[in-house]
Amino acid sequence: MLFCGVAFAAPVTNPAKVSFQRQIRPLLSENCFHCHGPDAGTRMAGLRLDTREGAFAPRKPGPALVAGQPEASRLWIRANEAKEARLMPPPSSHRKLTAAQKQLLKDWISQGAPWEEHWSFIAPKRSTPPTVTDPAKWARTPIDQFVLAKLQAAGLKPAPEADRRTLIRRVTLDLIGLPPTPVEVDAFVNDRSPDAYGKLVDRLLARPQWGEHRGRYWLDAARYADTHGLHIDNYREIWPYRDWVIGAFNRNLPFDQFTLEQLAGDLLPNHTVDQQIASGFNRCNITTNEGGAIPDEVDAIYQKDRVETTSTVFLGLTLGCAVCHDHKFDPLAQKEFYQMVAFFKNTTQKPMDGNIADTPPTIIVPRMEDRDRWQQVQVEEQQTREKIKAQRQAALKNFDAWVHARPQLPQPLPGETLAVPKELPKGVEWSEGNVKPSQALLFGKESKLELPAVPTDGSSAFSVAAWVYLPAAEDNFTLLSQKEHPKDRDGRGWVLESSSRVLIFRLTGEGATDFIEARASNANRLKASAWTHVAVTYDGGRDYQGFTVYVNGERVPMEGTGNSTPKIKGSTNSGTPLRVGWNGAGRYFAGGKLQDVLVTPRLLNDEEVRLLADWPVVRAALAKTTLDDADREALGRQYVNRESAEFRALNAQLSALLAERKTIRRAGAITHVMHEKSDSMPVANILFRGQYDQPREQVTPGVPSALPPMAAELPRNRLGLAKWLIDPNNPLMARVTVNRFWQELFGKGIVRTAEDFGSQGEVPSHPELLDWMAVEFRESGWDMKKFYRLLVTSSTYRQAATTSPEKLKADPENRLLSRGPRFRMDAEMVRDYALAASGLLNSEIGGPSVRPYQPKGVWETVAMDQSNTRFYKQDQGDKLYRRSMYTFWKRSAPPASMDIFNAPSRENCTVRRERTNTPLQALVTMNDPQYVEAARYLAERMLRQPTGRVDLLAKQALGRLFDLRERQIIDRAFADYLAHYKAHPEEAKKLIATGASVPDAKLPAPELAAWTMVANQVFNLDEVLNK
Amino acid sequence: MNIHDEAVHIETRRQLLTRSAYGIGALALNALGATTAGKTTGGLPDLPHFAPKAKRIIYLHMVGAPPQMDLLDYKPKMAEWFDKDLPESIRQGQRLTTMTSGQSRFPIAPSVFKFAQHGKSGAWMSELIPNMAKMADDLTIIRTMNTEAINHEPAITFIQTGNQIPGKPCFGSWLAYGLGSMNQDLPTFVVLNAMHTNPRANVQAISARLWSSGFLSAQYAGVALRSGADPVLYINNPDGVDSKVRRRMLDALSEMNQLQHAKVGDPETRARIAQYEMAFRMQSSVPDLTDLSKESAATFNLYGEEARKGGTFANSCLMARRLVERGVRFVQLYMRGWDVHGELPQILPSQTKDVDQACYALVQDLKQRGLLDDTIVIWGGEFGRTIYSQGKLTAETYGRDHHPRAFSLWVAGGGFKGGYVHGETDEFSYNIVRDPVHVRDFQSTILHQFGIDTERFSYKHQGLDQRLTGVEKAHVVKDLLV
Repeated sequence: MLFCGVAFAAPVTNPAKVSFQRQIRPLLSENCFHCHGPDAGTRMAGLRLDTREGAFAPRKPGPALVAGQPEASRLWIRANEAKEARLMPPPSSHRKLTAAQKQLLKDWISQGAPWEEHWSFIAPKRSTPPTVTDPAKWARTPIDQFVLAKLQAAGLKPAPEADRRTLIRRVTLDLIGLPPTPVEVDAFVNDRSPDAYGKLVDRLLARPQWGEHRGRYWLDAARYADTHGLHIDNYREIWPYRDWVIGAFNRNLPFDQFTLEQLAGDLLPNHTVDQQIASGFNRCNITTNEGGAIPDEVDAIYQKDRVETTSTVFLGLTLGCAVCHDHKFDPLAQKEFYQMVAFFKNTTQKPMDGNIADTPPTIIVPRMEDRDRWQQVQVEEQQTREKIKAQRQAALKNFDAWVHARPQLPQPLPGETLAVPKELPKGVEWSEGNVKPSQALLFGKESKLELPAVPTDGSSAFSVAAWVYLPAAEDNFTLLSQKEHPKDRDGRGWVLESSSRVLIFRLTGEGATDFIEARASNANRLKASAWTHVAVTYDGGRDYQGFTVYVNGERVPMEGTGNSTPKIKGSTNSGTPLRVGWNGAGRYFAGGKLQDVLVTPRLLNDEEVRLLADWPVVRAALAKTTLDDADREALGRQYVNRESAEFRALNAQLSALLAERKTIRRAGAITHVMHEKSDSMPVANILFRGQYDQPREQVTPGVPSALPPMAAELPRNRLGLAKWLIDPNNPLMARVTVNRFWQELFGKGIVRTAEDFGSQGEVPSHPELLDWMAVEFRESGWDMKKFYRLLVTSSTYRQAATTSPEKLKADPENRLLSRGPRFRMDAEMVRDYALAASGLLNSEIGGPSVRPYQPKGVWETVAMDQSNTRFYKQDQGDKLYRRSMYTFWKRSAPPASMDIFNAPSRENCTVRRERTNTPLQALVTMNDPQYVEAARYLAERMLRQPTGRVDLLAKQALGRLFDLRERQIIDRAFADYLAHYKAHPEEAKKLIATGASVPDAKLPAPELAAWTMVANQVFNLDEVLNK
Repeated sequence: MNIHDEAVHIETRRQLLTRSAYGIGALALNALGATTAGKTTGGLPDLPHFAPKAKRIIYLHMVGAPPQMDLLDYKPKMAEWFDKDLPESIRQGQRLTTMTSGQSRFPIAPSVFKFAQHGKSGAWMSELIPNMAKMADDLTIIRTMNTEAINHEPAITFIQTGNQIPGKPCFGSWLAYGLGSMNQDLPTFVVLNAMHTNPRANVQAISARLWSSGFLSAQYAGVALRSGADPVLYINNPDGVDSKVRRRMLDALSEMNQLQHAKVGDPETRARIAQYEMAFRMQSSVPDLTDLSKESAATFNLYGEEARKGGTFANSCLMARRLVERGVRFVQLYMRGWDVHGELPQILPSQTKDVDQACYALVQDLKQRGLLDDTIVIWGGEFGRTIYSQGKLTAETYGRDHHPRAFSLWVAGGGFKGGYVHGETDEFSYNIVRDPVHVRDFQSTILHQFGIDTERFSYKHQGLDQRLTGVEKAHVVKDLLV
């Protein structure tokens, strides 16, 4: 990044000492590194200018740089070539050195061409803060000394300290994200005790809202959202991770541990549930389940996101620029990118998210009151399974005798298998079956077989199973249907279908959207022209969790679709017959076969389904003279189930435990976590040009060689990676982190490009200060509360925000910190502010996301028909007034009012938000019902007081009183509003009815409306929107 | 409207200083800005690089990808290939989506629709688009568009932002950034979402990222113009607040903000006052925009009565014309329902019926108002569809899967050649035989009509000079242009 007229360098009269880091290196990076940098792939003439060896190496006709001798330095010579064909940089690169830049180069070379490694790769040192002339003793902390030194070098003086009202408002907003209450303001203003401010800071740091506020910044970095992000963009349950973040900040978890748990909480020895939840940091990326997507391609994209996120958040490096080739500007090789990928690639997570809320690996987060029983149930389940195994062994003692006798076995569950009449209707015939010698039903083009229904109302368990033979043709078939209105989406009942050979079971209650669906994943498609045993069981829980799908006796993963409702409401009793091989109106199963169709009003367990699936093998085996292993296994299972009452009882116990697990699970939440494969090591392949289908050399996990190496004893997995990041010798981690903290408070980081500490990022405005803070933070034990305390108690932070024409000229963006910070608040803060100032804020902490007001159609416009985030269903009551960080985040249609205030979409990791100033924002704070209601609610409070109404408004909204002129403006405006609303009382009634809360009927409408407008006006003040 | 935002101007200057000094020579060629009806504000001082032909663009994106061989790419030989498998020599190992890669056969489904020749160029067009066919001489039909993406999300993201992976700015944002705004009271980049009528049509996802400004300033993001009560989000005053009351409030607000500015001296305070004034102006300009009562009967005759109904495609086209009349530079329109994986002959006719007349109306309407010459109108999807059937193939019905290697699209106005058909695909509408136009090339050509050389139009982000067309070479397809 070139210097651009902003006062970083001291004014030059004589050639001052040229700074290599700040002036030369960025210049070389921008103009030379693309062709003479770290990327060997685009390196020209074998010349490297990004390393000392390369720049000073002997070459023909001469080295690029000769210390002290510009005329002998080929770099200097080529930069001044008259002929375009020999000029460097070449015109074709679209780069051109200015005269000033060339002079800098000359001066630098003359001064000996001192060379340093890129500044951010050099470990930070805690330098002594500079001595400054400070007769007024302005500097309170070392931070202030660094700042004062630069101010004085620029000929500027710090601003006076902000008055107490301004100060408490600023620090309260910065520490907890909310305005102070009038009581808090007055208490602080009147607090004469020593270090009143320090005590205020300590009180704020102890508030649980601290965790919410700091957490909200972190969620941008983590790219947290409540949907998967692509295509159907269904709901993703991961809010327990958000709770973890809030809790971590509140218990002041040291930042190194904070990092460790989020990158690798699941790999910590004896990890707690909380630490596992923390690993959800890696699961926050967007995922897809789009039909047609190629899993390998999708997987490559996820891994890229994980490496980019990790490198942006913890290293401030743009590793994503090395996906296809070596980094052009920083010493990061493409191979090293894939070595970083390797850390993340040994996961059990599959690329397609299944459109479900709980894409594995996930864990159940039971309610607090269920946690103990939850652990217990799992222990009992394990014990029962072992007993079952043992019982199976024991029971098999008499197996050989039994099998030798080749007993006549009836088919499993005969009473529940449907009896088919001998006389078949037109279009249905008997045909060769899978369970020989019995026959199967073969369906024709318009076959209409109907059997008596097996009623089910949706609240009771239900199971369906059958042998299915799919014909060769690609089509969608109905296998079984017990549903009214067969042509339409609505209509009570259930259907079992094969859609593009994906098995689907749908249970519909009341209306087209009141349904739940179990759909076998794409990977478990049924084969054409072959027999498959399928089964779907349902536990009566009215939700998707109640389903289990089996293919050939094994449980298979399910996918969700979209607008299946979380819980069906209506009865599923269709009142129709059970239709076999057709749906009752135009959809058939032509060319397909069914055998041993089983429909029963109870929950089959795994064992029973296995028995059904085994049956053909068993039948065949019983007719054989010699049995192979598969035969013995299948027969053994039959034997144990039929002959051993203890075995059956144990299975029943297991079913009960599994049902109890489901109950606890239903009451609790899910969260996404990381889980490593146990049977492989983390590795990755370099992808040629970043293409997923061009894998090359396999690499093991590793870190960039430009940074300190990973210690040999660290495991080569995410845990090792995290430990490497927090190693004290990592030059970037602490710097990048304190820079972000600084950015939160001061608006811009010491390094403006918080996401890029590399060669093309900006150099720090105060390099020694940054380093001092980085070391301080790390050596304090990565204590975040302590660090923020240091920042907010500094004199730099406490300055008034007043500018002067001189300061606007010399320090237009306040990079020199010649005044206190003042900038528009982030989206969430703007909304929280209005809620808090009015008194509407619901300060409940944590829990699932909520749905406050949103204009109609924002979701529908973009959503797919099948998405379960297609229709926005607003919440009621005090859920509407929760802090904004809990607003449900749909990535493809982020909350409209916050999007307008520069909230990111959360599709990617964001560590720096933009701050625009647009008329759309004005429209939000003027017209969004959330803000209008807040104004009206505060107006009610004002109106209930006989006097002091304007004072109350001022104190709630601004933490101060209005001065005389402001009061006059307000009084005159109020008079006009009142006159208007007295003349138009119906208008007054309409205005005060805005929002879900009901206005106090005892208050006169015109007055309330007039005060509402006054409050609306004040809430839109520039002073309110800024902190 | 553009924001007199000093912070942004600082940023713009920084961008300018770090780019090539080359472009500065072209400053003098800002002829376009001088001749537009309104003043152009914002934009980069060195753009356009050369005299532009177009000032505005209306991009009608058919989400889901219309099937080219049923509409614009006539393949009569396919009638002989009904239910015969696509030869491997044609497929050449093309990667298929996992929706059809599992199929045991790839039987060819010739189009059931009839084609005829139209206009002086004799362009073959389907019976489903009779009105588009009527204006064949106004259209540049490109038969050889191609892309790499095989699925909707990445493909639509690619054609809108130049990259398959989300996060980059979209076309409209680039133009807003580069060329600024010709209108002080409306956003320069507006997005419309039109509803299709057939409930059985397969709807694909779109998302706010498609009109997002990516790493460009958020002020360049598209603003959705919605049908219904709130045409721009939050534009309407709350019930019970009329414009007089709002004005009174703004006057008082402005007075108080001025006092604040006198005390503190933050330039942003002044900028904010200006934004509130702009918001107030939008509260008049937007209702004026959406009020169709002054449109003539002849107009509704041209567009069809559907144009009176908010949210229809016809209404959106009429709105698009009104937007560009008022100096809006980029109108992006999305219409969904084109993803005909199955039941194509049953669903496609309703889709084309929804759009055919209005497309004709829009182009003719612009022509009649003298706007067509410098307004680019684009109609097309994000990729093509397969000649082989997805799912069941019968004489009456078939479906088509995604196909990136070749798709069709048309352009009208803005210096594009009328009555011209570009490029040729093979008999299977599978491979391109002659004159491919990659999405990149298409974007580059559009930029060219705006007087922009894509090689020189970049924004420094993450140390890279990022461009809409990406890092690979993008060609201006001169044959498409007058």
